[in-house]
Amino acid sequence: MSAITPAVVFFAAAGLAPLVVRDAFLLDSLVLILIWGTSAAAWNVAGGYAGQISLGHSAFFGLGAYAAALFGARWELSPWLGLAVGAVVATAIGLVIGYLSNRLRGPYFVLATIAFSQVLLIVGSRWRGFTAGSEGIPVPFRPGFWTLGIADKRVWVWIVVVLAVLAWLVQVYLDRSRRGYQLVAVREDEDAALSLGVPARWLKVAAICVSAALTAACGALWAQYVGFVDPFYVFSVDLSVKFALAAIIGGLGTALGPFLGAALVTTVETYLRAQFGGIGAGLVGIYLIVYGCALIVMVRWVPQGLVGWIGDRLRRRAVARVAP
Amino acid sequence: MSLLSVAGVSKRFGGIVANRGISFDVAPGELIGIIGPNGAGKSTLFEIITGFYHADEGEVRLDGARLTGLSPDAVCRRGVARTFQKLRPFQGLSVLDNVMVGALTRTKDVRHARERARELIRKVGLSEKADAHARTLSTGQRKRLELARALATEPRILLLDEVTGGVDQRTIPDLVRLVRDLHAGGLTLLVIEHNMRVITAVAQRILALHLGEVIADGPPDAIARDRRVIEAYLGQAYVP
Repeated sequence: MSAITPAVVFFAAAGLAPLVVRDAFLLDSLVLILIWGTSAAAWNVAGGYAGQISLGHSAFFGLGAYAAALFGARWELSPWLGLAVGAVVATAIGLVIGYLSNRLRGPYFVLATIAFSQVLLIVGSRWRGFTAGSEGIPVPFRPGFWTLGIADKRVWVWIVVVLAVLAWLVQVYLDRSRRGYQLVAVREDEDAALSLGVPARWLKVAAICVSAALTAACGALWAQYVGFVDPFYVFSVDLSVKFALAAIIGGLGTALGPFLGAALVTTVETYLRAQFGGIGAGLVGIYLIVYGCALIVMVRWVPQGLVGWIGDRLRRRAVARVAP
Repeated sequence: MSLLSVAGVSKRFGGIVANRGISFDVAPGELIGIIGPNGAGKSTLFEIITGFYHADEGEVRLDGARLTGLSPDAVCRRGVARTFQKLRPFQGLSVLDNVMVGALTRTKDVRHARERARELIRKVGLSEKADAHARTLSTGQRKRLELARALATEPRILLLDEVTGGVDQRTIPDLVRLVRDLHAGGLTLLVIEHNMRVITAVAQRILALHLGEVIADGPPDAIARDRRVIEAYLGQAYVP
């Protein structure tokens, strides 16, 4: 079995599911799992491979969401253009954050990324004239592919699978290429990497920019899919934590991990919301508690993530089969 | 023509002078030992040559081209490799991947880098450990790993910070033999070493540092007899 077989099976299953599955709820879950998985994969490029842990990635997601929404609602242009512009703006901001990553290390970098997303939250929620402020922006539904007004959830699955595969391919590139090896070296020990001729500074910046652009693309598609952009959601720390958590649970620095992590996190979250949410229920935020506990369990007992854990199991079983 | 030339290098940390007007030249193919008591400024000198610290005064040249002002990765690509006194392997990576990172500085082809890394791992005697995680290695094995990794960048001069420090007595001869072999293969080396027996056995020339200054520069037997060196190491009472 080649290293990429599980991922090929995963994406093929996701892409073929709409041919079999008709249930709207399941298709909706699949679209969201793929969007969150792609966001987590984008986060993984900076956080997992390059070791630049960010808890402000909602800044990029929100930028993409707002770009797509504003292009449609304000200028009646294609959200695809919004997606492209959002990705470019996110890349530019990625340059700034990348620069910060060369000044601030560890917890200081994390704090700076949180601050960044909160600044954008304030801009988004206060700049009423442009962003409609804290009310948020309803994304107009204009039927057609170019305007991304698509009611059929099956089509959404296919659109999102394309982006997911793209994010996965970026990670596979990092697993196999020279730049990937160098990036991982920077994560492990930046000074040692420098001493071996690795251009650590610009590699980190490049990784953060690619990560930012992909996250913005996710934000743009999400905005079109959901149809409403709320600044307090798209720029929230919760969302940043969700990306990081999915990647950590799935397996930091593994290509398929973020998607598995997102599948788990999204499923659990949906279940908890259905179980404990509802109007008047006092347990709406319980999924946050579960996030916290899950993180503790993972970091303590399965630090290598789901992908590493499953890989270990399979290897042990293979060894056990050969041994006797 | 000297390969590496250090001219008037000074470095201060607040009120402490770590390096004061250090100058010396290294000819191609030389193996120079650098000795001196703790705090003499040996490691600071290495950090300056490799671009991790910026000298307050003076400059470093490789084959006539200025290294001063370049970032550490650029210095490495010019042909200066180093090991660290406090070893810094990439803990989470295999031995092979560690060495590949060095090799990838000279080749874009991952497969080629892997072959090259395997050769070097064999050369330093770590073949059995090629697929093991770096964190599982002993100190002696880590020293070999750092050596292989630095060699993979195809240096014109290699700076070794304490080859035998922290290694048990039995493995020292092997490491010394390795350094000798590298030198015999034509590599230029600059070696910081505390163990006088080791350094006098391998070096053709020794540079003694004390309180940031070069106090002696010459062949090992002359250094061993040098009044100021003995004084620096053992105190005035021991000077004959």
